[in-house]
Amino acid sequence: MKVRIIVAAALAIGLAVAASSASGGTVGLKASKSITVWLQTDASSSPAWLALTAATNAQFQKDHPGVTVNVQYQTWGSHLQKFDATLAGGNTPDVIEMGNTEMTKYMAAGAFQDLTADKASFPNSSTWLAGLAASGKYNGKLYGVPYYAGSRLITYRTDQFKATGASTDPNSLAQLAAGMAKLNAKYGSKKGYSPMYIAGTDWYFALGFVYDYGGSIAQQISGKWKGTLESPKSLAGLAAYKAFFNVASRASKTTDEAHPNPYDVYAQGLAGSIEGPGWYSCCVGKQYTPVTSQFVMPSHTAGQVMPGFLGGSDLAVPIGADKALGEDWIRDYTGTTAEKAQQAMGNIPNTTSLFNPANVHEKAASRSWFVPTSKNWVNVENGNVLRTMLAQILTGKLSVKQAAQTADANITFTLNQ
Amino acid sequence: MSGTTSEVPDAAGALGSRRRRSAWDRAARGSVPYWLILPVAVAMVAILAYPLYQLIVISFQKYGLFELIRHAGTWIGLANYSSILHDPVFWNTVVRTIVFTIVNVGLTMLFGTLIALLLVRISTVMRILLTAGLMLVWAMPVVVAVQVWYWMTNFENGVLNYALTKLGVGDFFHHDWYVTPTSQLGMVTSLIVWGAIPFIVVAVYAGLAQVPDELVDAAEVDGARPWQVFLDVTFPVLKPIFLILTSLSIIWDFGVFTQPFLLIGESHVSTSNYLMGIYLYEEGYAKSDFGRGAAISVLMLLMVAGLSFFYVRKMWRTEDVA
Repeated sequence: MKVRIIVAAALAIGLAVAASSASGGTVGLKASKSITVWLQTDASSSPAWLALTAATNAQFQKDHPGVTVNVQYQTWGSHLQKFDATLAGGNTPDVIEMGNTEMTKYMAAGAFQDLTADKASFPNSSTWLAGLAASGKYNGKLYGVPYYAGSRLITYRTDQFKATGASTDPNSLAQLAAGMAKLNAKYGSKKGYSPMYIAGTDWYFALGFVYDYGGSIAQQISGKWKGTLESPKSLAGLAAYKAFFNVASRASKTTDEAHPNPYDVYAQGLAGSIEGPGWYSCCVGKQYTPVTSQFVMPSHTAGQVMPGFLGGSDLAVPIGADKALGEDWIRDYTGTTAEKAQQAMGNIPNTTSLFNPANVHEKAASRSWFVPTSKNWVNVENGNVLRTMLAQILTGKLSVKQAAQTADANITFTLNQ
Repeated sequence: MSGTTSEVPDAAGALGSRRRRSAWDRAARGSVPYWLILPVAVAMVAILAYPLYQLIVISFQKYGLFELIRHAGTWIGLANYSSILHDPVFWNTVVRTIVFTIVNVGLTMLFGTLIALLLVRISTVMRILLTAGLMLVWAMPVVVAVQVWYWMTNFENGVLNYALTKLGVGDFFHHDWYVTPTSQLGMVTSLIVWGAIPFIVVAVYAGLAQVPDELVDAAEVDGARPWQVFLDVTFPVLKPIFLILTSLSIIWDFGVFTQPFLLIGESHVSTSNYLMGIYLYEEGYAKSDFGRGAAISVLMLLMVAGLSFFYVRKMWRTEDVA
């Protein structure tokens, strides 16, 4: 009996060991025959984008017979926590899409492989969009390949602007504000109507005013960061934002740009215009698509455009990933054909060689601003420091100066941690 | 003789052997319970004790993204604890969470008890309908409940604003229910209390069945008013249940995360509306400062352990009585 038990136990242990060995072997085999790519759900939002990814995968698999591509779509809100978990577990994806404001923290921590030596092998690397390319560099080394940038535009109702005589290509902020007043006079009696729907805490839009007036969020002085929102120029920009919001928007002063989506408000007929990414025009509803067009947000200085937030994405190869395969996939996904497809979808391509000055998206990108390049910047974002400040300003809970001072203290503390 | 002499040692040997076997059997029988709980004990150590040990170790380390990638933290002693205990945000959050917990637990117990008392007095049909309604509330997943709450209180077209306006309460068109930290946490409170009431109702209603009718009748005959009957007869009988329910509610509400995080929204959580669960998430995960996050976890663990004291003590006494 005892012998049987011992034999049975030995068999069980043997089977367990064999099973674990086999599964380990499978994982190893899988790693050499498959690459995992993390893209954001934006890339699954339209048929054109899905087709672009499918074409890239097909090309990659043609160049690498037997290697499959496993594309996994992530959301902006949770992908960093998931990425952290893979870094801890040693099972990182082979390619990851990162927002350009997220890059610095991870580059500084050593989360990505150094691509500097291979830079020349990436398509159009000599003409990469400078602002976007900068977000993929740290200490002179290349860790992220520019993927695409997003333009920010005003999407508007041509019928309403025409009916009121509001300018459809305003030369200045004052002219745009005058147009908003006209829209308000004609359509403002409709409950909930906004001449321009602006989510109160949409800092991507609001901080454009700060940079337009010559201000900034923070500056590095002698190696130390200092919040600069309380500088006179920044305060002028914040005051201008508050004044423009009060003229143009009846949106909640405390909401963000995703609750609700501005294009949903527009599609309900409750907005003469909306501000946001250029691709918003895709989703304004069948009823209003024929009477929708776009222009660039004007500066307070006549004849200039307002600096727009240069949001965008980079593609990086995390540590522990298959660098050669990861780089090859990125080459395919950021080639000239792929970037032309991005341009056709309303995004800004990663290379200036494809720029068309007449294109409204690229005109918007001619003046842009970017967040402070600190490894801790993402903590300022996650801490909602700017959103809190904007809500305080718009609701009148604090004066512009008080709110800016509070935000500056937070920013200075966080960036220098 | 030889046979006799040989039998005596054999008998003694057999007796000794029987005694040894008997002692062995007793020991074996005595060890059975320990063998039976061994798998559970191993599982508990693997699932709870080891992670807890790791949590405590990491809380004494600098363990950020850099260290996470290298799978090695740097020992910094009590620095994480010191920085937390010197952080005004931490103390503000502790006070806010305590007030939040008191309000939530108080309202939950109050409404839960009132509805349980109502259940005793209504007809069977109404009791079944009300109980079914409560069960539906209980069965609703928290994330779904948050979404429903968000829709109802939506700024643009929430039904709450519409209903209040139609009822003539005032002009609630475009009323923002999330404009201040107090109103944000107020909405979270309404959701948590709503979701927690069914459990309290069911538990208190079950307890009410234990209240002797003759005591209630005697009190009523003596002229006691309903609230006096409740305070002097019902409450003393239900006191152990109330104590346990209150203790459990405190533990749950003190560490609540899902409802405030989702209802207030990730883009609106800030130091002015942090609760302990969110503070832990923001400091530990959002900032990738896992060492500090671990230290906050340990401090929260100690606080919850303190809050659990009454619950554990009550359970202990119940065991003694049994």
